[in-house]
Amino acid sequence: MCNSLRHEETCQKDGLCPIVTFPEVVNIDEIADEAPEVKTFYMSFLDKEVEKNFRIKSGQFIMCTVFGAGEFAVSLPPSPENDRFHITVRAVGKVTNALHELKVGDKLGVRGPFGNGFPFEEIKGKNIIYVAGGIGLIPLRSSIVHALQHRKDFGRIILLYGSRTAGDLLYQPDIKEWQKTDGFETYITIDRAEPGWDGEVGYVNTLIEKANVPVDNTVAFVCGPPIMFNSVIDDFMKRGMSEDAIISTLERQMKCGIGKCQHCAIGRTLVCTDGPVYTYRQIKTLGEVI
Amino acid sequence: MSMYLLTSQEIKQLAEEFLQSHAVYGPQVDAQTGQVFFDQLDAIDALDLDAAIPSMPVKEILFPQMERILKYRYDADQQAVTMEKSYAEKPKVLFGLRPCDMAGIQVLDRFFIGQEYVDDVYLVHRRQSILITNTCTRPWDQCFCVCTHTGPAAEEGFDLDLTKLADGYLVQVGSEKGQAIADAHGWKKADAAQLAEKNAVVNRSIDLFPEMARDNKAWISRAMNRITTGLVKPEVWEYVGNQCLECGACSFVCPTCSCFNIEDANMCDGDCERLRTRDSCSFEGYTRMAGDHNPRIPVEDRRNKRFFCKLSYSQSKKYLRPGCIGCGRCQWVCPGDIGLPNVVQYLRRETTE
Repeated sequence: MCNSLRHEETCQKDGLCPIVTFPEVVNIDEIADEAPEVKTFYMSFLDKEVEKNFRIKSGQFIMCTVFGAGEFAVSLPPSPENDRFHITVRAVGKVTNALHELKVGDKLGVRGPFGNGFPFEEIKGKNIIYVAGGIGLIPLRSSIVHALQHRKDFGRIILLYGSRTAGDLLYQPDIKEWQKTDGFETYITIDRAEPGWDGEVGYVNTLIEKANVPVDNTVAFVCGPPIMFNSVIDDFMKRGMSEDAIISTLERQMKCGIGKCQHCAIGRTLVCTDGPVYTYRQIKTLGEVI
Repeated sequence: MSMYLLTSQEIKQLAEEFLQSHAVYGPQVDAQTGQVFFDQLDAIDALDLDAAIPSMPVKEILFPQMERILKYRYDADQQAVTMEKSYAEKPKVLFGLRPCDMAGIQVLDRFFIGQEYVDDVYLVHRRQSILITNTCTRPWDQCFCVCTHTGPAAEEGFDLDLTKLADGYLVQVGSEKGQAIADAHGWKKADAAQLAEKNAVVNRSIDLFPEMARDNKAWISRAMNRITTGLVKPEVWEYVGNQCLECGACSFVCPTCSCFNIEDANMCDGDCERLRTRDSCSFEGYTRMAGDHNPRIPVEDRRNKRFFCKLSYSQSKKYLRPGCIGCGRCQWVCPGDIGLPNVVQYLRRETTE
């Protein structure tokens, strides 16, 4: 039973009932190295009743506790359906570095899932373009897998993915698996040519031209560093894409996840409860620089 | 709601009764400095219902500066964790709240427990507290509650409301909790004559503002309009930002500021405590993310956030009123002279220039 007012209104209806106050304990089942400083942690809840009720939407995030170090907000890469519960994290701060020290069998705490999530039902029948820069692929993974699980509901599904070096590319086995799905187009680039790489070279926005992306009846999910985000948006706007059709997910420092600590305020919205998923039109009118 | 007329002696007895079963908080005057603090009372003799507006807001009692919200111990060898999932729950009486502080509590109530998600920590404090307000029969230097519609008499939110009249105290009931307290005592009923006397007291108090409350004036509706529509010039925020010393005092004395930080602290004995501490949007670290990316570095970006929070329509929708309740404490403590009433003046001056 969740202790939010949501419970009566929406939790029971959509079955999404977040863990709000006290973290639930999860076991680290497996740790996989994705790239330098990036690891994936596969986890399962100790309390199987909690696990059964723990359901997510793609684009949502959790608050993850590393015991002894603190709590951090992290986006959820697994698909809402038939996927292993995991998080992919780069070691950048105090808590994430502590997380990278952990071994299989260690315990973590989880609160959530929080946030609005990516649209799914609303975009059925459309073409989808995923544009990811570096670890920007992590939040998009959930939506990609979900869309591929419902392949026939969508038009073209295109992934444009760029990273600094070939070694920084994430989810390599996953991408190979996805490419087996009929009509899943992938374009991958790295910033500078390097030995052993025979794919595209250059920034990710150059792929927009190469992929000859559709404009009408299309949504684009864009996630990556601000500089990449801005140049990709520019290219899409030049091609005549609607501001409502460009969707991104933002990140901010978060402490509570439920709209109380206010650390994640951008203008008049809170990223934790109003976001983290916004359309480009919304981002433009938040009243604060991203 | 029902009304009663109590003598000063009966008011004191009521406080004494509460002291047996509750932690009783009330205004007390510090003998050395003459400052007023709204602190826990050991003996009712210290309770001073005529004291000035307290230096610190009463949010300290419901939303403390630092509070433990979780305790756990992680055993790295066994790879096991034990958690103590509980909050300290203790019945409290807030005896003699000023109406502005009452309005502050209502803002916190609406923000913490009136929205989609409920803040459990605050709810636990709030659930067991009894609020007794005290009408201000006179304003103090920094008061401007008449501008924010939060005084000099409390209108809602209280369990019991006291007003000092010539022959004792008029006690008005504001909730079922308050009615239950009244029913348990054989208090003398008050009538229309006493209510009229209260109205006269309130009117006299308002009349005293031009003469006694000379520090601050804030015509906030004009500023709200500018802030909500984003029409304030960047130069004005820069000016405000240049005055800011980034001390955070305004946030800590504001009855409606509710931002907090959460840290896990390692205790010496191997236990870990998750501490929730108050935070201020004036600090640079407030928005800093892991990896040192900070979207809000210039101080004016942070300063306008505070006034946006207090005076924008979108934030008022959460509070069901403006975020300023007219106590004047920020103006009192601000070393840079950019308390809310002053900033409202700057914004208004800008509109007339």
